[in-house]
Amino acid sequence: MLKIENLHATVGGSQILRGISLEIPNGEVHAIMGPNGSGKSTLSYVLSGRDGYEVTQGTATLNGINLLDLEVDERAAAGVFLAFQYPHEIPGVATFIFLRHALNSVRKARGDEELSTPDFMRLVKGKAAELGVKDEILKRPLNVGFSGGEKKRMEILQMAILEPSLCILDETDSGLDIDALKTVSQGVNALRSPDRSMLVITHYQRLLDYIVPDKVHVLSKGKIRHSGGKELALELEKSGYAEFVDEDAA
Amino acid sequence: MTAGTTIQKTDAELGLARQFDETRANLPGNDWVREQREEAIRTFARLGLPHRRVEAWKYTDLRSMLKDAKTPADADLNSVTDAELYQALGADLHGLGAHHIVFVDGVYDEENSFIIGDEAGLVHMTSLAETLNNPPEWFKSNFNKVNPRQDDHVGTLNTAFMRDGAVIEIVKDARLKRPVHLIFISSSKSAEAITERHFIHVAQGASATILESYVHLRAPDTQRNSVTELKLETGAKVNHIKFQHEGAKASHLSNWMVSIGENANYRGFQLTIGAKVSRNTINVNFHGSHSQADISGVALLWDEQHSDTTMDIVHGVPNTLSRELFKTVLDDRGRAGFQGKLVVKPDAQKTDAKQMAHGMLLSETAEFDAKPELEIYADDVVCGHGATSGQLDEDMMFYMRQRGMSMDTVQTLLILAFVGEAFELIEDEDIRAAFTKMAEAWLGGKSDE
Ligand SMILES: Nc1ncnc2c1ncn2[C@@H]1O[C@H](COP(=O)(O)OP(=O)(O)O)[C@@H](O)[C@H]1O
Ligand SMILES: [Mg+2]
Repeated sequence: MLKIENLHATVGGSQILRGISLEIPNGEVHAIMGPNGSGKSTLSYVLSGRDGYEVTQGTATLNGINLLDLEVDERAAAGVFLAFQYPHEIPGVATFIFLRHALNSVRKARGDEELSTPDFMRLVKGKAAELGVKDEILKRPLNVGFSGGEKKRMEILQMAILEPSLCILDETDSGLDIDALKTVSQGVNALRSPDRSMLVITHYQRLLDYIVPDKVHVLSKGKIRHSGGKELALELEKSGYAEFVDEDAA
Repeated sequence: MTAGTTIQKTDAELGLARQFDETRANLPGNDWVREQREEAIRTFARLGLPHRRVEAWKYTDLRSMLKDAKTPADADLNSVTDAELYQALGADLHGLGAHHIVFVDGVYDEENSFIIGDEAGLVHMTSLAETLNNPPEWFKSNFNKVNPRQDDHVGTLNTAFMRDGAVIEIVKDARLKRPVHLIFISSSKSAEAITERHFIHVAQGASATILESYVHLRAPDTQRNSVTELKLETGAKVNHIKFQHEGAKASHLSNWMVSIGENANYRGFQLTIGAKVSRNTINVNFHGSHSQADISGVALLWDEQHSDTTMDIVHGVPNTLSRELFKTVLDDRGRAGFQGKLVVKPDAQKTDAKQMAHGMLLSETAEFDAKPELEIYADDVVCGHGATSGQLDEDMMFYMRQRGMSMDTVQTLLILAFVGEAFELIEDEDIRAAFTKMAEAWLGGKSDE
């Protein structure tokens, strides 16, 4: 379970998160929607521990572990996974080598043995097939020259391999055509599990037709202004954000 | 004091002049060779050691770096065992299945040298000492011909003091499968000056891989001055590779002079790991059309290491191609300089020349400088150059650490990726793998600090 209380954070000296409180019990999927610049990506970076994102107040724990005390890689080992809005290109590092280092790093940190190369290849190829990721792509440097859809699939493939307990998906739908959106959503849905919580960040309601959330929160100007069930996403789609965020004028 | 033009000679300069007087009688060579030596030492007396105001030495002020001139190593062979060679080279480079030509402290070691039987007729090797005593006509007419910089301070010292080296002929149309491995090992406990010179003639249509390894057994502060003159005849192909892992206090002055004939293909690579001060001069002259040169290198430097790569690529005939890619990783107070001079002469139409140098700085105190120099006198040419210097990319590091990788793992992967681009240009898979492992070991050594 992810538990965030009164989280405040600054970026480059400006206050971006202004008191976020949020609980995502294991097994649940929560969506965060909000206008551009409302702080959605910032929240994902603060939770994953990116440099330059400074928490000034509040707490964030995952299954009782204080995330804010941990280094980036320690948080990953503790179960935090961020599917990036813009996945980085890593020239010179073949995808399968990247994946093997990632998996063996978290396995080691979690006290599991490293996988042998054949076991690892079987695992990756199996999951890749499910997500429609071609084998050839695993030999190429990670994300270099990948299409938008390939990059997003690759994020979900990594998520499937690393088996995190908290999945944060930052605008995973952006830049995807409808077929890619369906495969990616299937991949995400396959990972829904009673011991995993998910935070799905999106600007559009469309994604939530495929990844149906348990709860929807509206973020604006660094604070959750409104929460509701999955139907809230549809209302937002019809009437826009204005109705739900005017509280911040007060 | 008046603003005179006479510069005070340094201790090292005075020492070199004195040592020449003391050793010249014992250096090998006939009258013709002696004349070359005398002329060289006179030129050196005029030039002195190079300093910052000499453009080609902008990044390496040898005059202030070379505090003293070590005593020249003598002609006696300090023997080493094959086990010691194995120890100095490492299992991978020792186990290449190559022909071995071994020099210990600058002297040819016949005991440890061999040309493997299956290629015995294709490679001929004579020691320089022997050649100098009775230099054939081809030797005299080719000697010192490839150097476009006339005021070659260090080259004159090499000519004055050269004692031994390898004179190699790869015969016409020979296609060597085994590398020719020239192994230069410093074994001596005392500090010594070693001056070597090599001539490699690759005859028409021949192809070969030539690996020069400079390694050490103990950690002597050797001063090495090494020149390789390499000539590729029509249709020849050469992979010319250097592994430099001298002792931590050593200085390594190296000059490759390469002359490329028609339809010939030259691929050079240099891996620099050792020495306190290293200078890699590479002079390439195109003499025949439809030929190409691909030259690349990796330098891994830490502590107070200083390394300088200075190239002169001279396109003198039409339709030739040159490529350079150099990658330098610097930690601690490591410093590296790269100078790439491209000369395209008026006749050299359709020249295609590109040059890149990249530095990666792992500490705030490391420094990488690069300076291209283009002299283009032909109009129908494509020439490009670029240089970058930077740190590991923060965004990439965050992305990788978010996937659970430790800072060490991330750095190792990104640095190996950075140098890997240059290693990939090495055609010999075994040498490429051996160098990659050395880079990994270097990174591993760093994280053990
Ligand atoms: N490095 C930064 N320095 C200063 N402000 C930043 C920085 N990064 C983002 N911001 C600001 O933080 C706010 C929230 O950005 P972000 O979290 O990316 O929004 P969203 O993902 O909801 O579109 C924006 O106003 C943005 O301009
Ligand atoms: Mg965003």
